[in-house]
Amino acid sequence: MKSILIIIEEDILRMLAQEKSKESSLNTIRSEIKFSSLEITSAIDELNNKGLIKQKGSILELTETGQEIARNLFEKHFILKNYFLKTRNKKEAYKTANILEHYVSDEVIKTINKLSINKGKGLPLTKLELNQESIVADIVIHDIKLFERLVSIGIVPGNKVILENIIANGVIIKVKNKIFALDKNIAKKILVIKHETP
Amino acid sequence: MRHLKILLIGQPNVGKSSLLNALVGPRVVVSNYPGTTVELTQAEKTFNGVRIKFIDTPGIYSISDRSEEEKVTEKALLEEKLDGAIVIADSTSLERSLYMVLQVTESEIPIIVALNFIEEAKSKGIIINSEKLQSLLNVPVVPINPITKKGINNLMVSLLKINEKGEAFRVEYDDHIEKAIKIISLHIKEIALPNRFIAIRVLEGDEDFYKYLEYKKIIERAKKDLKDHPKIAQDISITRYGTASFIAEKVTKIVCLESKNDFSDKIDAVLMHGIWGPFITGLFLFAILGILLPFGNFIQGFLMDLTETFLFSLGLIEKQSIITSILFEGLKGLTAGVSIALPYVFLFYLILGLLEDIGLLSRFVVIVEKFLRKLGLAGKSFIPLALGLGCSIPAIRATRVLSSKKNQFNVASLFAFVPCSSRIAIIMGVVGFYGGAKLAFSVFATSLIAGLIWAIGAKKVIHIKTEPLLIELPPYRKPLIKNVLVKSWIRMKDFVIIVMPLLMLGGIAYKVLDIFDIINIIVKPFSIVTGWLGLPKATIIPLVFGFLQKDLTGAMLISVLGNDISSALTPLQIYTFGVASTIGIPCVIALGMLIREFGFKKAVALTIISIIYGILFAGLIWRIILIF
Repeated sequence: MKSILIIIEEDILRMLAQEKSKESSLNTIRSEIKFSSLEITSAIDELNNKGLIKQKGSILELTETGQEIARNLFEKHFILKNYFLKTRNKKEAYKTANILEHYVSDEVIKTINKLSINKGKGLPLTKLELNQESIVADIVIHDIKLFERLVSIGIVPGNKVILENIIANGVIIKVKNKIFALDKNIAKKILVIKHETP
Repeated sequence: MRHLKILLIGQPNVGKSSLLNALVGPRVVVSNYPGTTVELTQAEKTFNGVRIKFIDTPGIYSISDRSEEEKVTEKALLEEKLDGAIVIADSTSLERSLYMVLQVTESEIPIIVALNFIEEAKSKGIIINSEKLQSLLNVPVVPINPITKKGINNLMVSLLKINEKGEAFRVEYDDHIEKAIKIISLHIKEIALPNRFIAIRVLEGDEDFYKYLEYKKIIERAKKDLKDHPKIAQDISITRYGTASFIAEKVTKIVCLESKNDFSDKIDAVLMHGIWGPFITGLFLFAILGILLPFGNFIQGFLMDLTETFLFSLGLIEKQSIITSILFEGLKGLTAGVSIALPYVFLFYLILGLLEDIGLLSRFVVIVEKFLRKLGLAGKSFIPLALGLGCSIPAIRATRVLSSKKNQFNVASLFAFVPCSSRIAIIMGVVGFYGGAKLAFSVFATSLIAGLIWAIGAKKVIHIKTEPLLIELPPYRKPLIKNVLVKSWIRMKDFVIIVMPLLMLGGIAYKVLDIFDIINIIVKPFSIVTGWLGLPKATIIPLVFGFLQKDLTGAMLISVLGNDISSALTPLQIYTFGVASTIGIPCVIALGMLIREFGFKKAVALTIISIIYGILFAGLIWRIILIF
């Protein structure tokens, strides 16, 4: 699906969108993107073929169709970066955004964007009202394996969670069509934001 | 003949055992146990001249080393020299299944994705384009339905060419992660596993993989550049999930989002209620015992008549020589086991399998967790504890569902108090028969109280960290009787293969000691016990030798005291005997199983301490009652 080539292509487009003039020199791109120049060259060739950019000497320029895609990518990056800035330092947020922008679906981006606009810090999952739809904003768990377990069942920033019931020792939640019983102490560390259904 | 070795992997409740049945057919060659315990099940089948060996694994959400189930699966994946794996995906939650698919493809083992529950997904408005999924993942994707056998043949056909597909899709991580992966990849000992896979697992913090590194410091070196990126392990799993959800979104069309699970929701609303839940669960468990005891009793009576006639017809042989009389006693031990324990054990596993298939078992786990937690036990311990009501031996093995050895041992220690069918038979058959139902009930209650004190004490002393509650509540499903029967049989196998022959040996050992008149010599130092318990001296024989064959305890008691036990013992003595003979690790076979699971020292220490505890407890209660 996403080969390295496509990732580089997306990175180039995003960088071009970032520049005000919609153009950039090959050298800036080479210094910013940490892949071999061979890979970068073939990515540029691909972009040329797809008619997304025009190359004039060492200057790259977005075409009209290219501009649209590039803006979209840049927005994704921007939303993700802003989102992660809340919980990470600047460099970290930038890097995380760099990974996720290539993978995260448009739907998730939309919800994350909502999270960013909704400046609230996020509520512990336990504090939600019953049957309230919400979006995972952050998971404050340092135990890597527990974190991975939560991710593997679908508790990931951006995913929807519904609190179905509160029981003595935890909560019953619905994530991606499945129902789970979750310990109270874990649920407290999952921060969510209410999702207003339109 | 060509051979193939194929692993089956999938989430819990994804229909793995049904698929195995569909693949291999009714003549399933099943070994060990799936489901509530964590071992591998194997089954073989010849298809188009190729011998295919399937290895079924416990249901897991991801391949890491958090729980024993995951460890077992990971080990099988890496060490079994596989030709490939079938990853069973749930169409109703594709991205979760793809998460595991992506994890498995990292190991570069050829896989086939079997797409299950397509109809169920369709009824929820989820339509999956399996061809598109196949081309995105670059692995064969086969839609299946194990119940109607649809797609099973296709799956077999693709299995035969499992090695032919090119490189599967793999997750690309961000450059800083890829860089760290590259650095670590360069310093991995030469083994059969792909370096990239090992490097990723190392970065994810899986310590089992450290042994493949040339030197451990490389991890620090690889992470040196990541100072501003401390959450590398988290980022790896998030990226993997992000990729899975990306692919899932590409191949899924959602027609309508209405969930039609009203029925499930309504039941859960009641069952998960703070007051009604425990109430209904309690009622249910009582109802199970209510069915189990009379029904088991009925089969027990029937089998006892049968075995008695059988033994009677052999009666002449008994007196022919010492050898035959010893063998006869062994046979008596075996038939006692068959007629006393077998009906309960089988019925019990049948009911348990039914609850599991319906989806109630995991709900019970959640409901009782609140109580178990107070005793320092994880919710999951409910399953081995419940199994203990059948026979302690498979139950000890079932403690493997818990994550740490310490937790496993803690639960195993409680089988000193959970009465197995043989001990229930003592309580009902000896205490209940000669002393009345009230007395039998008080023995159960005493056992429970002694167990609660033990568990709370253990919690205070060893400071056990219980694992947090995190369990799926599967949708309620109609149970597949065949599945339930197969499952019960698999659980029974331990009892039939390990326990029954040893029951025979127990009887033989007892007779040998009897013939050479060693019993009294062995028993002598224990006479202090009967003194403490206020029981006649002769009762020490069933108390001590019951350890060889618990089902013979009642018979031994009759042989030392005569048939008229109600006049030989006062009701209080009958009660005390019942308590003393049922608290503690019950028999030498359970001790053997404990040794296998936890080592000699721990097993012997637990057995001795638990038996002494039981005897002290019984004597203490006896004295307290005497005061009043």
